[in-house]
Amino acid sequence: METLALFAYALYLAIIVGGGFVAVTNPNLVRALVGLVAAMFGVAGMYFLMNAPFVGLMQLLIYVGAISVLIFFAIMLTRPPAGGEERATSRRRPMAFVAAAAPVALLGTVCLKAFEQTVDVPGETGIKELGQGLLGTYGLAFELISVVLLVAMAGAVLLGFKRREEA
Amino acid sequence: MNSLFLFHLAGLALLGLGLFGLVQRKTLVGMLISVELLLNGAGLSIVASAKLTPADDVLGQLSSLLIMGLAAAEATLVLAIILVVLRRFGSVETDTIATLRD
Repeated sequence: METLALFAYALYLAIIVGGGFVAVTNPNLVRALVGLVAAMFGVAGMYFLMNAPFVGLMQLLIYVGAISVLIFFAIMLTRPPAGGEERATSRRRPMAFVAAAAPVALLGTVCLKAFEQTVDVPGETGIKELGQGLLGTYGLAFELISVVLLVAMAGAVLLGFKRREEA
Repeated sequence: MNSLFLFHLAGLALLGLGLFGLVQRKTLVGMLISVELLLNGAGLSIVASAKLTPADDVLGQLSSLLIMGLAAAEATLVLAIILVVLRRFGSVETDTIATLRD
């Protein structure tokens, strides 16, 4: 990579790791959500760096715009009277560290050994090609994800209705 | 170290942080946040693998979009499930709702 690209990469990686660290360790869930949003911004930057601007913009729209709002709703609706704090946990930390480190070490070795990079500068794929792929070669996946989203929405509405009937 | 591994490294960092949070968090909302981190890492790795190898570029980018759609569906359903659990147990802490263990 060029020096400037390497600098941008280091910046995005710092944002991702810093935001992700806040997201998983901060006892206040609202602050954890802000960390998650920062990490998502970092990932969007990585997409732009990889010359995939469409995916980067979708990342900003879907993750930063929609999913973070959904999670914020979840936080607001479940907030206990004491105020959104998780009780401090020290017993689970070592177990959690092992559970995270083992797959990362395994997959990291695989990534380092197995894959060979053949393209130095990623080429640009226009939105036209993506749209043609979506409606042509990968049409089935496109239709299936629409059905999944519809079913998820209908299921969420159904669960919400049952909740109100019980009340 | 080539740039493909550097991008995979970012995905691995998200994977590690997400798994750590998933085990360590005590509420369902915290676990939902960790799962979103995991899915972000997966999408990043897929696009990097498609962009920097001879693999089909369109396939990689559309797979990432598919993951985003799945993440949106999952977040919607988890929000509804969290509401039902809160209604039934009065709490979303994993220790409180582990009734099968008792």
